[in-house]
Amino acid sequence: MLHRLESLESCNYNGMGVAVLERQAASLKWQQQNYVVQHNNLVELCASSMPQLQGLTGSNLGSGQMVELKRPEVFLGSDDFQEFVNFPVAGAEFGDSEKLDMVPPEAAADYCISRTSSCQMTALNTSVMKEEREDMILEKMESTTGSGRKSFNKRKPEAVADHKGKNKRIKGEGEPEVKTKCSTEISRNSSKENSKASEVQKLDYIHVRARRGQATDSHSLAERARREKISKKMKCLQDLVPSCNKITGKAGMLDEIINYVQSLQRQVEFLSMKIAALNSSVQFNVENLTMKEFPAYVANFPAAAKLPAMASLPYFQLNPLQKESVNCMLNESMLPPQTATEGIASASVSISEQSLSSSSMTQLQPFSTWNMDPQDIVPGIISNFKREYNFKCHYSPSYKTYSNDSDSYHS
Amino acid sequence: MNKYNPPRMNPSSLRSRFATRFLRTLSKINAQKPTSSSSPTEIFRRYRRIKAAADKSMAYSVRSRRTWSRAMLWKLRTRPCGRRSVKTSTIIKSREARKTRHEKQNKNTTTTTTTTTGEDGVVFGVEADELRELVPGGEAMDLYNLLDETAHYIKCLTTQVQVMKKIADFYSP
Repeated sequence: MLHRLESLESCNYNGMGVAVLERQAASLKWQQQNYVVQHNNLVELCASSMPQLQGLTGSNLGSGQMVELKRPEVFLGSDDFQEFVNFPVAGAEFGDSEKLDMVPPEAAADYCISRTSSCQMTALNTSVMKEEREDMILEKMESTTGSGRKSFNKRKPEAVADHKGKNKRIKGEGEPEVKTKCSTEISRNSSKENSKASEVQKLDYIHVRARRGQATDSHSLAERARREKISKKMKCLQDLVPSCNKITGKAGMLDEIINYVQSLQRQVEFLSMKIAALNSSVQFNVENLTMKEFPAYVANFPAAAKLPAMASLPYFQLNPLQKESVNCMLNESMLPPQTATEGIASASVSISEQSLSSSSMTQLQPFSTWNMDPQDIVPGIISNFKREYNFKCHYSPSYKTYSNDSDSYHS
Repeated sequence: MNKYNPPRMNPSSLRSRFATRFLRTLSKINAQKPTSSSSPTEIFRRYRRIKAAADKSMAYSVRSRRTWSRAMLWKLRTRPCGRRSVKTSTIIKSREARKTRHEKQNKNTTTTTTTTTGEDGVVFGVEADELRELVPGGEAMDLYNLLDETAHYIKCLTTQVQVMKKIADFYSP
């Protein structure tokens, strides 16, 4: 490798008559190459633009750093780099431009070897050390360059701020991730691209990228993640509640959910009342029912378990009224009528309206004479039954209107 | 000779667990009844017992996996004498609260909402309170868990309604 360096140096000395601008451009190119080596970016590109250095860079990178070919505008901002690429490669500058005339080739070679080796070393270190070295290299570049300093000055505060932002956002990530993040950070910085909000990787923390124009405060990021969780949950609820399809917006959906839960609870109440009103002589046969599916069993059910003839009048009156109310309420829910009896009952409701209304009135009286329950639960429930029945005349398929009626009732 | 085999229910599903428990309790209640079972008082008493049995068997089917089931079981256990169901009163209360919500629209309720920043506190303020009243054990939950519990509670309620409806249809004339 040394003899190759010497040959390059000889080329360089031959090129001493080259214009100062070209020399500075070449020195900047060398420094850029250092920078590139630091970030494992565009080494091939630099090597392609500087064919004399190709062997050197290849040997430097023999330790297994990854070489990625990227477009020139990705790195360093398109304009600066293009300028340097277009310049003819007169020769490689392996040291500072000021030192070149004075330093003998061997020392210069040593110096650049040491620099490259240091570059090599830092690439394998942790991310923090890398960033420190990067800062040092940047400072060196700044101190030694001439006219090309401008671009690096531009880049340095960006890079430093970039590092700070990176450090803030990256917590406890592994090295390869940092490498990709470095490259993406630089690309983002240079080309001013903003990535979408996404969870990058779930290591120890949930990494959320800020959208363009949004705050990167940790609090707001957490808020945003929480809000996304909640909206996901609302979508699941939307699938559960049948009437939420047309309604958009969280408030309306929550109202629908509340209505649905209330209607379900009321259905449970009414069904338990219905079961309570069934004739208790019916034995609840647990074994038969658990072994088979309900609908099939109901279809095969013989008439033996039918209720015997009702003797008492109140029960008679309660039963059909209750059944109709329950049926009407159950029709409200999305369950279709299960048995033929239910269908017949709902069909015959309209015919016997008047008779049943009278019966409901007579039914209310014994209830109101109760003193056992001082609360308004009893008349509340019975009036619910009655209102169910009254509501049936204005039946509409959505339980939402039903609850509106309830509202008007309780006003 | 095709015998119609009805599809077997999954014995460990929520529905079958609830159904078995509920039917057992129902048979127990029926066994305890007095001879005259047709008076309204009796019916009402039985209604309350059946309702409590339904809730209890539902909560037992879910075990203690859910906050609402734990809260419901605790509520049922610590209400020995007064079997008064407060559900209708809470329903009335929630309706009134929702009516007055339009007047209180701009007022930000910060009592039970955990977040006062962002639009969550303003949007979900009143509705979340109502939901908390409806779902047992919902008072001490933040919004995300509340929605989670509501979803499971809705699922269990629908199962309960279906089973009870089938029982009622099965034994009705």
